[in-house]
Amino acid sequence: MTVAVDDDRLSGTFAALANSTRRAILARLADGAATVNELAEPFALTLPAISKHIKVLERAGLVKRGQHAQYRPCALEAAPLKEVSTWAEQYRPVWEARFDRMDDYLLHLDTATKDRRTR
Amino acid sequence: MTDTGRSHDAVTIERSFNASADLIWQMWTDPAHFAAWYGPEGATISVAKMDVRVGGTRLVRMEVRTPDGPVQMWFTGEYREVVENERLVYTESMSDENGNVLAPSDLGMPAGHPTTTEVRVELVDVGGRTQMTMTHAGIPADSPGAVGWAMALDKLAAYVTAQGL
Repeated sequence: MTVAVDDDRLSGTFAALANSTRRAILARLADGAATVNELAEPFALTLPAISKHIKVLERAGLVKRGQHAQYRPCALEAAPLKEVSTWAEQYRPVWEARFDRMDDYLLHLDTATKDRRTR
Repeated sequence: MTDTGRSHDAVTIERSFNASADLIWQMWTDPAHFAAWYGPEGATISVAKMDVRVGGTRLVRMEVRTPDGPVQMWFTGEYREVVENERLVYTESMSDENGNVLAPSDLGMPAGHPTTTEVRVELVDVGGRTQMTMTHAGIPADSPGAVGWAMALDKLAAYVTAQGL
């Protein structure tokens, strides 16, 4: 069983997340929508630099910009983050099957040992 | 499902085995035992290196039969924590037969798959049986520190959960 994941999009999500400023921006947006000015406040970065990070997040589908006037507040789009978790979850059935085999193998070892003893 | 306090990009499985912690430890650290169960089904595992001590190397070959003939894959890594019969932590990356790490995307793995992952096995003796907790976690290559990464993602994971996604 594998989980269907859009590879290109997942790759984009990871690229967007592989930067501490962008992760901090997303963490801030988890508390609620904010304008670019508000997002820039905690960072020693220029507005254009922050805008650039926001554009990367927008392209990755992680941030949505509002349409209202010049402020255009940013909001978190969480759906792609759900996919990020799935690569690890794809391993779950693999490990479950492995441990089923370990169980069988242990039983086989146990039987083999008992057979030797009774012989 | 018990999923509290765990990093977002990890899978944790708990199992109870009717065997001693000593025997379960051997399942992970003895090449012959490891090869017997690791699988997957239809694959043949052989252990080239299994130097079970902190900083020691592991190199495992997996051979899968395909209609075009056998295909070999290699996995390498390093042991990070070795506490006999209690705790084993090792890293894992896809590699060539000499243990040179290869990028997962070059080997047809889904994009976003971390180059290096970590497997953590914890064993607890419960009256002759053994409780085993295995965690397989990704270590994102570009992350400056796994801790900072996990903290940021945990907050986002809580948000995702709250949104019912």
